[in-house]
Amino acid sequence: MHIPDGYLSPATAGTMYAVAAPFWYVATTSVRQALTGRTVPVLALFAAFSFVLMMFNIPLPGGTTGHAVGGTLLAIVLGPWAAIIGISVVLGIQALFFGDGGLIAFGANCFNMAIVLPLVGYFIYRVISSNSEATSTRRLVAAVLASYIALVAAAFVAAVEFGLQPHFFHTADGTPLYCPYGLDEALPAMMGGHLLIAGPVEALTTGLVFAYLQRTHSSLIKADVPGKREGKLWLLWGALGLVALATPVGLLASGTAWGEWGVDELEDLGLGFIPSGMQRFAEWWPAPLPDYGWPRMGAVIGYILSAFAGIALVALLLWLLGRALIRKGQVSTREPPPATTDALR
Amino acid sequence: MMTLDTGRIFEARNLDYDYPGNIAALRQINLTIGPGELVALLGANGSGKSTLLKLLDGLIFPSRGEVLAFGQPLSEKSLRDGPFVLEFRRRVGLVFQDPDVQLFSSTVWDEVTFGPLQLRIPKDEVVSRGSDALKLLNIAHLRERPPYRLSSGEKKKVALASVLSLHPQVLLLDEPTTGLDPWSQGNLIDFLIDWADEGKSLVFSTQDLDTVEELASRVIVLGTDHILVADGRPEEFLSDPDFLLRTNLVHEHSHRHKELVHRHQHLHDHHH
Amino acid sequence: MKSEGFLSRNISNITHILESVISAEDLCRAPGLLQGLDARVKVATVVLFIVVVGLARSLPILGAVFVLILALGLLSRIPLGLFLKRILIFIPIFTAVIAIPALFVTPGEPLVTVGTKVIITEQGARTAGLLVLRVTDSLSFGVLLILTTRWTNILAALRWFRVPSLFVAILGMTYRYILLLLHTVNSMFLARRSRTLGSLSGGENRRWLAQALGTTMAKSHHLSEEVYLAMLSRGYRDDGLVLNGLSLRRWDFLWVAFALAAASLLLWINQL
Repeated sequence: MHIPDGYLSPATAGTMYAVAAPFWYVATTSVRQALTGRTVPVLALFAAFSFVLMMFNIPLPGGTTGHAVGGTLLAIVLGPWAAIIGISVVLGIQALFFGDGGLIAFGANCFNMAIVLPLVGYFIYRVISSNSEATSTRRLVAAVLASYIALVAAAFVAAVEFGLQPHFFHTADGTPLYCPYGLDEALPAMMGGHLLIAGPVEALTTGLVFAYLQRTHSSLIKADVPGKREGKLWLLWGALGLVALATPVGLLASGTAWGEWGVDELEDLGLGFIPSGMQRFAEWWPAPLPDYGWPRMGAVIGYILSAFAGIALVALLLWLLGRALIRKGQVSTREPPPATTDALR
Repeated sequence: MMTLDTGRIFEARNLDYDYPGNIAALRQINLTIGPGELVALLGANGSGKSTLLKLLDGLIFPSRGEVLAFGQPLSEKSLRDGPFVLEFRRRVGLVFQDPDVQLFSSTVWDEVTFGPLQLRIPKDEVVSRGSDALKLLNIAHLRERPPYRLSSGEKKKVALASVLSLHPQVLLLDEPTTGLDPWSQGNLIDFLIDWADEGKSLVFSTQDLDTVEELASRVIVLGTDHILVADGRPEEFLSDPDFLLRTNLVHEHSHRHKELVHRHQHLHDHHH
Repeated sequence: MKSEGFLSRNISNITHILESVISAEDLCRAPGLLQGLDARVKVATVVLFIVVVGLARSLPILGAVFVLILALGLLSRIPLGLFLKRILIFIPIFTAVIAIPALFVTPGEPLVTVGTKVIITEQGARTAGLLVLRVTDSLSFGVLLILTTRWTNILAALRWFRVPSLFVAILGMTYRYILLLLHTVNSMFLARRSRTLGSLSGGENRRWLAQALGTTMAKSHHLSEEVYLAMLSRGYRDDGLVLNGLSLRRWDFLWVAFALAAASLLLWINQL
């Protein structure tokens, strides 16, 4: 799912950096507070493990093979914030060294695989596993389902990023400048592959490793007792997960407003083109957009503005909540530093 | 202000240490180490040698009892005192058994300068200390190498150099000769003997009785039941075959060429 | 699922990575054009040109950039075969395959008619070409950077560009331990392969893989604890305390001028 440079316009790529930034910021602050001095070695070693995991050719029943991301697994063991940083680091190394994922597309890749994936996965894992024992089957099922859904969610976000390119970035004669496939092509293509192959590979890998950890190193999977404070956090993450799915649509659309295309130009060049694109898009993803109907310019702008505002609001809330919880969590400055990574959860 | 008494090096009083899960690692350890001593820490695998070294270096803390360094207790509290930590870390260096754990920087040069930089030593001096440490161990040519391009012997040297650049007064070494070929072992021992001149202290753990003879002025033996079973001059214990067998320091079928510790008859076709 | 295929594929994957790391490092030391430039300048140039490539709208511009890339590779003593392999294999070819349907599906003026019904449009051809060239050019700049700049210098450049020192520290250490873990895992694979006679079922392979991954995860966890202690032992307090060896020279300023001029020219032509 690593997007190379060239598939996304610089405007889109830049937007995704901006979207990822608040998550990186919150993740860094949370992790630094929780791990204190251990941050660098713990995250570095787990990122290194993540990289190795991503590299494996995993055999599926039936003969095909694939690669896993392992983001949900990492979020379960280290907590979602550490997973965000860990996977971002791995993606950085893959992009720099192996050209796996572009350099300006780095923000988008991080958003898809290092932010959406672990957050969605962790949320679903917590919801399904709730209070069960660390070694219970329920937890295993939770991990497997969560990792599948999380990967599919990440693929969806990536597909939307791809699919919006030709609608908004093309030359006067209609030549798409970046990814040439609109939502009606990109979505089914990407979702098909990930629902049927990459998703099962992720679920299988996560399940296998999780089961092994349950048997031999169950201390790495803490049975957690949700407190009132944690309950709020889950709601927030759940909401964030859903909003994250909606984000690229909103911000990419807003990208065109201050990117290459003004509203007038859109009307001149591609009004016939755009509505048909949006129409097909709405057919594929009708549920979250019941009110948007067929686009007229007004409706499109209204959608853009509200999505943008929604994202900004959630990001702000998250940041504030994160700060408040962190401050509450510090009992006194004499508290000894945590002995293990448990403190993250 | 915590003052360091450099006339006292280490003390352990009724020291107990448990691994997580309440598994006994060390029990009732009492010892005193003074300046200029060259101490060999012996014991079979799992007897807690590495654990004791880490306790002496203030990286982990006793479950019961206490550890003192330079007269001050080593505890989570005392190691939050900025000036004390700085002094302590400067004076005591630990070389880990697994060099990969200690070589966490991108290049040999980064590794060797890590310690002095963290200790707020001025840049110029950091550079000269780094160069000196590399020259001392004849590894100046490895300066720009990343750790994965080093052989295991080179890694051990870099690990030692990265501690020496601190200019420590006390060296703790966890199995320094393990895995080295005999020539390198001899070299290392000679180096440590030279280094230990002028009142510096050395505590090293080892399984190799020959090294003990050549280097140690004192021997501490940890038994299989987690207690200290011997503490004294090497000659007192190392010529007692029963003692060595009891503490798992030798095997029935092993023999050493320095002293005749044969337990059974067998044919040789070479002379002693 | 034949075990031979599964194990061998993973082994060759890992081996390939390790080899490409080593060869990249050797190339960084060659006396070429890009090798002589400051890392910060190179990082900035690469980002600049990838953005320029991203803004380009015509095939000739992207083609010209590719020629520039080849020239830079040549002047930096990168063997042509190796360079082409790294920039063309896999992603550009994969992209070309992905782009094929676009030839037919993109609405527009017909260009070529295949058979009686199937039409390749002008727009389709252009969009496929734009995508493939854009991807190739962007990727190539990244490759040029990696093959001519030492990893420690890239890290130093990132630090200079105000990337948070926490990220850079983690980035550096992650890379270092990736290589260690890859070696460890490779040994596991090789040992497994040498003990395997005939083929194993998919299930057996999966079980073994789970164990290998689980063990590696546990090892990573263990290493992380030990590395932390090793860092503490030498006074660790702050990230980003590294002696920065970067300094700008005349060539760097000349290069910046050239890069800005070239970028401006390309963007101006782009507007026409």
